[in-house]
Amino acid sequence: MSEPHKDLLQIEDLSKDEIESILAAAQPFKELFKRSVKKVPTLQGKTVLSLFYEPSTRTSSSFEVAANRLSADFTSLAVASSSVVKGETVLDTVDTLEAMRADYIVIRHKKAGIPNLVAEHTDASVINAGDGFHAHPTQALLDASTLYDVFGELDFSGKRILIVGDILHSRVARSTSRILTMLGAEVRVLGPGTLVPPGRPDKMKKFKTYDEAMDWGPDVVYLLRVQFERQGEQFFPSSGEYHSVYGLNEDRFKRIKDEGVWVMHPGPVNRGVELADSVTTYDRCLINRQVENGIATRMAVLYWLKPQTFEQDG
Amino acid sequence: MDELILLKEASVASEDSAELFESDVLVENGVIKSVSSSLKSGDGTRVIDAKGKVLLPGLFDLHVHVREPGQTSKETIRTGSEAAINGGVTGIVAMPNTAPAIDSGGMVRSVLEIAGRDSRIGFFTTGCITKDRSGKEMAAIGGMKDAGVVMITDDGSPVENPQLLRRAMEYAREFDLPLASHCETMDLSGTGAMNEGKRSYKLGIPGIPSISEEICIARDIQIAAYTGAHLHIQHVTTARGMEIIRQAKNDGVRVTCEVAPHHLIFNENDIVNYDTYYKMNPPLRTEEDNEKLLEGLIEGVFDVIATDHAPHTEFEKKQQDFEAAPFGVTGLETALPSLYHHYIKEGKFGWDLLVKRYAAEPRRILNMDQVSVKEGSKAELVLFDPQATTTFTPEFMKSKSPNTPFLNKELQGTVDLVVNGEEVLLDRSGGAA
Repeated sequence: MSEPHKDLLQIEDLSKDEIESILAAAQPFKELFKRSVKKVPTLQGKTVLSLFYEPSTRTSSSFEVAANRLSADFTSLAVASSSVVKGETVLDTVDTLEAMRADYIVIRHKKAGIPNLVAEHTDASVINAGDGFHAHPTQALLDASTLYDVFGELDFSGKRILIVGDILHSRVARSTSRILTMLGAEVRVLGPGTLVPPGRPDKMKKFKTYDEAMDWGPDVVYLLRVQFERQGEQFFPSSGEYHSVYGLNEDRFKRIKDEGVWVMHPGPVNRGVELADSVTTYDRCLINRQVENGIATRMAVLYWLKPQTFEQDG
Repeated sequence: MDELILLKEASVASEDSAELFESDVLVENGVIKSVSSSLKSGDGTRVIDAKGKVLLPGLFDLHVHVREPGQTSKETIRTGSEAAINGGVTGIVAMPNTAPAIDSGGMVRSVLEIAGRDSRIGFFTTGCITKDRSGKEMAAIGGMKDAGVVMITDDGSPVENPQLLRRAMEYAREFDLPLASHCETMDLSGTGAMNEGKRSYKLGIPGIPSISEEICIARDIQIAAYTGAHLHIQHVTTARGMEIIRQAKNDGVRVTCEVAPHHLIFNENDIVNYDTYYKMNPPLRTEEDNEKLLEGLIEGVFDVIATDHAPHTEFEKKQQDFEAAPFGVTGLETALPSLYHHYIKEGKFGWDLLVKRYAAEPRRILNMDQVSVKEGSKAELVLFDPQATTTFTPEFMKSKSPNTPFLNKELQGTVDLVVNGEEVLLDRSGGAA
């Protein structure tokens, strides 16, 4: 047995055994959702505070539902619009949360490393809900959980995952590729030369064309959200060109259907850019399953972490 | 102060010999009176047992931020000078990126006046190339020369406009002022906060590509070759950048350059858990760069070692995320022990290299009087004990800021004694023999 963790900051901090135990803990929660009463008393009296410095609908509401189903008290601070503007630093806000006796702090920020900084300054468990380009560990866990459902086992050896899109600016690509690799899968990438950086792990080989990538025979095609422009810098000529070169268009979708390839996307989807409209209704499109598993996985994470605030109970 | 100091059986280091030679050294009225064996002590002579300890000329740092005026919560001329003494450095050259910037004769005079009062070592200052370091118009280079600057630089930023840089070189050339370049191509650096590579990918931190530095080095060298000015390239961090300089030197271009201890010792992989005490600009590069820079230092590509001592408060460095925290680490107090610990002790290079690159050459670049452990030289001396160790706690360090990767770490060797002329600036030698 390993030591309990206070925080979940990045997948790198977890061993394979620990990942497996979190994913195993998520399974009963998935069953729970099929019942009419979806709530358990596990975290009754505990407080989960969410601190989203970047707008997010699905991740923040997923954490909220997860906390509620564990009977924790959930409060979200609208930091994106309030105190940040007044010049309060993240650590000032964390001091405030300490005073409120939060047991869990769920944080999203546009700068990498902010959750790590916060974790050093609080007894509460810090859960990274996405920091800059760095990490999104609960997304990685829910993706692995989704593929666990599909493959029927936690050993992903021999499975091939193709990640398509903006690798450079994607915390999802970093965290999800890491976890899938740890579970035995082979991960390769496809995307514009500007967005597939040479600094990525050596194992993540890149393809030049969609055809070449499909000839590899992937079990899953994982599409990443792309942005045409970032801070005034252009990484490809246009969204239209992206769709025609790297998008999952109708022609490519036909081959994917024929070969029974699973399709994933962390959302929100840019229709007509990363994928054609019709993909979302494909029976092997896992986008909604990812959202559903997000709740169970985040419940498992809340259940698995051990805030130091609990020690005060004696 | 004692008028006579006798150092018994010191191991004397010089730039001319890889071997240390054991000798007694007698200092009288701030000048080295005698260097020979078995010197006798007379009445009133203070005798220091220097057996097994290395005696070297006072070190000279060509690249130091003392933050005064305007940023005195980080450092002052007084604390920066005391930090230098603590590290065996008896001469420093201050950078002009203060608030306001040192960009006029008046500013130079006021800084030198404070230094005359607050600094116990050789204190020199640079002045800006452009007014307020804004890269828009030339600063009062002639006026600053008249007031005493030893070099001009916009350190912290490049002069982005090549025509303005060219004019500044042509102009400064006639005043015999070296122009020091912080080489960076801002459009390539963007919002980068560390070297672009595997580590920045893993940490999700925007990267500063090596080409940002290398392209600017190449550009500035071309302008120096064209104008005939003396160009000094600051804090070189990449092997390719160094090779451009090596080639220019072979071609006869008047270019000198420096390397910082942290760029020799550390690389991007040392950045763990977003520790901002490893964040500086230019950034830590790769392990391969460490090796190549060390080779270049040994082969003589680097004229000088300089620390780029860049103090920032603990609040600025540790209460902010990696991207928001300011660039820079301190270096004056750790340079000598860290170079001893990592290189001299390990036999990678000798004391002669350290004396040449961190005492003699920087003074030579600025046309200053040399100091050495020889009869008739001014007594600017450092006694270093290689047997002892130093732990760089905040209490030990004299700098106002603790931002060094060596914080609370132990290094082999300690600075025992620092003498500047008639004054003993520091004495940890443990009393008389």
